[in-house]
Formats: sequence, C-alpha cells, structure tokens
Amino acid sequence: MNPDELRSKLPHLLLLTCVLATAAITIFFIAFIFHTALPIFESQGIGFLTGTKWSYSEQVYGIRIFIIGTLVMTGVTLALAVPVSVFTAIFLSEFAPSRVAKVMRPMVELLVGIPSVVYGIFGLFVLENIFQDRIDPFLSGTLGFIPFFHDPSPNSGTGVLLASTILAVMILPTIIALSEDAMRAVPFEYREASFALGATHWETIRKVVLPTASGGILAATILGMMRAMGETMAIVMLLGNCQHVPSSVLDTGYAMTSKILNDIGYYCAIDEPRSALFGIAAVLFAMEILFVAAARKIGGRS
Amino acid sequence: MNKRKLEGNIFKAISYIAAAITLLALIGILGRITLEALPSLSLYFLITPESEVPGLGGGIANAIAGTLLLSLLSTVLATPLAVGTAVYLKRYAGNGTLVRTFGFLLDVLAGTPSIVLGIFGLLFLVYYMKFITGGFSLIAGTIALTILILPVIERAAEGAIDTVPLELEEASYALGASKWDTVRRITLPFALTGILTGMVLGIGRAAEESAVVILTAGYTQFLPEFKALPREGFLFGMKIYPFQDLAAALPITVYRSFEFPHLIPASNGFAAAFVLIVIVMLINAATRLLLWRSRIG
Repeated sequence: MNPDELRSKLPHLLLLTCVLATAAITIFFIAFIFHTALPIFESQGIGFLTGTKWSYSEQVYGIRIFIIGTLVMTGVTLALAVPVSVFTAIFLSEFAPSRVAKVMRPMVELLVGIPSVVYGIFGLFVLENIFQDRIDPFLSGTLGFIPFFHDPSPNSGTGVLLASTILAVMILPTIIALSEDAMRAVPFEYREASFALGATHWETIRKVVLPTASGGILAATILGMMRAMGETMAIVMLLGNCQHVPSSVLDTGYAMTSKILNDIGYYCAIDEPRSALFGIAAVLFAMEILFVAAARKIGGRS
Repeated sequence: MNKRKLEGNIFKAISYIAAAITLLALIGILGRITLEALPSLSLYFLITPESEVPGLGGGIANAIAGTLLLSLLSTVLATPLAVGTAVYLKRYAGNGTLVRTFGFLLDVLAGTPSIVLGIFGLLFLVYYMKFITGGFSLIAGTIALTILILPVIERAAEGAIDTVPLELEEASYALGASKWDTVRRITLPFALTGILTGMVLGIGRAAEESAVVILTAGYTQFLPEFKALPREGFLFGMKIYPFQDLAAALPITVYRSFEFPHLIPASNGFAAAFVLIVIVMLINAATRLLLWRSRIG
C-alpha cells in the first residue's frame, strides 16, 4: 500500500473503529445485564414475573409488586403530566406571541437542568409536609368514598401521588419540547386551509394541528414515560418503599428501580440475590427496549 | 356560532393556565431551593472539603471537585467516540439494515434507566475489574458516565452534521478534495457549534447523575489527591490517585442529606443542589457566550 492510499484509508479505519467500539460497548452492556439475570429466570421461571413474594431467606423471588408499583406510579404521572404539557405546548406553538414563547422556551428547558436527586429532596423536605397536612386530607375527605382516593396512612405524605407529582414536573419539559416541535412542524398551509373553510382557531388546532402532530405527541409521551419508569433517586425518597401493592393513589408502594438501589449494595457479592436484582433490571430494560421500538415506529425518526 | 367561540375561548384559557402551571412549578422549585439553601451558603461552605469539618456535612469542596472531574473526564472520553461514530454514520456508511439496527441500539442506550447502568458499573467495573479500576473509584465512575453520555453527544453531533449545507461539501469535492479532507475542513468546522452544544449537554447530564455515580464512584469526604502509592493487587502494583481513589459528587452530597437526615442539615443538601444547578447553568452560559463571540468575530 503506498502512502497516499494509506492516508485516505486511515481516517476511514479510525472512524470505523469508533463505530465498532461504540457498538461493542452497547452490546456488551446489554448482554451483561441479561446474562447476569439469566440464572434467576431459569430457577424461578414465570413465577419471577407473577410472584408476589420476595424473600432472600426462602429464596423466593417474585416481582409482581414492584412491576405494579412502577406501572401505577407511571400511570398517575402521565395522567398529571400529559394534559398540562400538551396544553402548554399548544400555548407555545399556537397562542403565545413569539416574544413570549422565545422567553418561555429556555425557561422550560431549565427544568431539565434540575438533577433528579434535587427533585427528590424538594419533594421530601418541601412537598411532603404540604401533602400530609393539606392535599392528602383534602382528597380523602372529599373523594375518600372512592377507594382510589382513600388515604390509608394519614400521618405520612409519601406515596404514589407525591412521587407522581414530582415525576410529572420532571417529565414536563421533555413532553412539552417534543410535542411543540411536532405541532410547529405542521405546515402553515394546513392551518390556512382550515381557516379558509371558516373554522375557528381552536377548531383548527383540534381538527388539523393535533391530529397531524399526534404521532410526535405520542412519541414525546412515550419518552416522558420512559424517563418516569427509569427514575430512581427521587422515587426512593418519595414512594415510601413499602412492599405491597398500592391500594390508592395516597398509599405507599415500591418501584422496581428503588428495589434495585436499596438492595444491590447488600447482595452484590451473593450469586442468587444478585441475579434476582439484575432480573428486575432486565425486566425494566426489556420494557424500555419495547418502548424505544414503539417510539421509533410512531415518531418516524428519519 | 357563539357556542363555537365559547369553546375556543375555554380551551384557550386552559392552554394559558397550563403554561402558567409549568412556569409556576419552575419558579416555585428554583425559588424554594434557593431559599432553603441560603442559610448554608457561604464561601467557607464552598471551599472546605467535608473532611475538614467536624461531623457530617458543612463543606462541599470535595463534591465540587469530584463533580467537575467526573463530568469533564467522561465528556473527554465520550466525545471522540461519539463524534467519530456520528461522522461515520452520516458520511461513510449507507442506510442499510445494519446502520438502522445500530441507530436502534443507540436509542436503547440513550433510554437506559440510570439504575441499570449503575448496577452494570457496580458489578463489572467495581467488582470484576477491581484490579484496574481500584473498586469504587473516579475511573469506574468516569467509564460508567461515558457510556451514559455517549448517545447524548452522538445524537447532537449527528444533528449538527445534518445542518452542514451539501453545496459546501460538493464544492469541496469539485475542487478535488478527498473525502477525509472534506470532512476535516468543511463538515467538522461547520458542525462545531452543534458538537460543542452536545458536549455541554453531556457535561450537564454527567454532573446531574446520581444513581450511576453512587454505585461506581462511591463517596469521599476528602479532596482529590494527585499521587501514586505502591499497593498490592492493583495493576502496575500501585494505586494511582485520584483515578483509582473514591470520588465525591454534588448529587451524592444531596442524597446524603436524605440518607442522614438527623446528622446533615437539610439546608446543606439544598445548598449543594443550588451549587450544582448554578454550575450546570454557568457551563451552559459560558458555551453560549463563546459560540456567540466566535460567530461575530
């Protein structure tokens, strides 16, 4: 190979090395998680997903409580976050004067810059008291006849609602920014056509802008949901860490991520418990991979 | 007609209220953190490591130093890999199944829950690789954070390369430049702004991370030291400080105010949080200023 040829090949090889290294790291990481988790799936079978008992001494590992805990918490989070963020996105892309939107956008981005552990202590030291003294009694007092709003622990503010409120604020900017992008990507001609037919501004938004942007909004929601499901630090502080299925939104629960964080330090050196904890991580990871695939399909990433 | 107008106005009002809620949440959180942080904030608190204060809490110099080391080192490690990958994917590779699968892998990596990456770091980097990393250490934390921010910087670099006008590259080819010359002299300089923004995002993401750091870097009350001591069982037979030593980080200081609520005043945690947010915002602002000046000059 002469020097000239080498000089044109070398950068190509270097760049290819970067790609291969990135791919190797990613594949090794994913394989490592599932490989470490494999023994627990072999010994527990499907009971690992459906069992409700988690006991190190009896060597029974079932994670249904944690899966339900995570799902309930994520569901309540989305119920709180999606309406606020979609309407904020509508405000930014449709109603706000461009000067207001220009100021507000970076401010919303600031919310992303707040670390999750800070959201955690904010929820614990500031919001918990407010929830315990005001919001929990109010909700269980007015809506307590519905089991969903019954308050089983009046002396504590921690629980699904507190964790979800904080999570909702955490995922607001993600959903707002991505849905606003989707709405602004709707060609202006569509709106003009709708106005020309005599539709009002709101009718145009509801019947033209939102349906056209719905793929992007859904993808944004999925990304926000993934962030909520994967969140650890804030949830450890706010969900209460009680090993039972939450009976209402004011009850405590236990999420998959908190179980891993709380126990991994003690059991990292013992094969079976370690494998069980990696099993939780593998299930969580598998869920995330499914959602990534869904978001890619819906969002149509080019 | 009136009903339609009324409906429009109602939903317009709802949109305004939603935007107001978002802003109130932001102002409420930032304001309250600042307020709670004020009693602890002092120059002494900022420049004293926790090791020199009796009891727990009282100083965060160790955490500031650790956070800066962790986030800068991991960004330095991740950037060449990320930019190289982005350039190859955008300019060298085609759009085959393999490339699309790779894009999917990167999305999965970007969406990884931090706790999953954390236990990977704990078991692989801290336990299995102990003779290289030294167990809980700066280097273990840095490697784990590198994996965390790799997709962040890669996506930003891909986006930046997408903004390069094709005409410029075509002009370069027309002048007889080779592919690499074009990438090096046209594509990368043009995409530099976007790549730098991606690096800042990476620094911020690494500085904020807590679950990964607590499981790989541990925590120390001491400032990082720069020395090497002979030590059995380590690579080269010595322990290299600060890389193979424990590292502190601001998010962990915040977390400790939750772990030891009766030993560390909550206000210390809020002050650490405040400093963390300010650092991330300063890095952000500095980059914007730099980019703005370079665009004018």
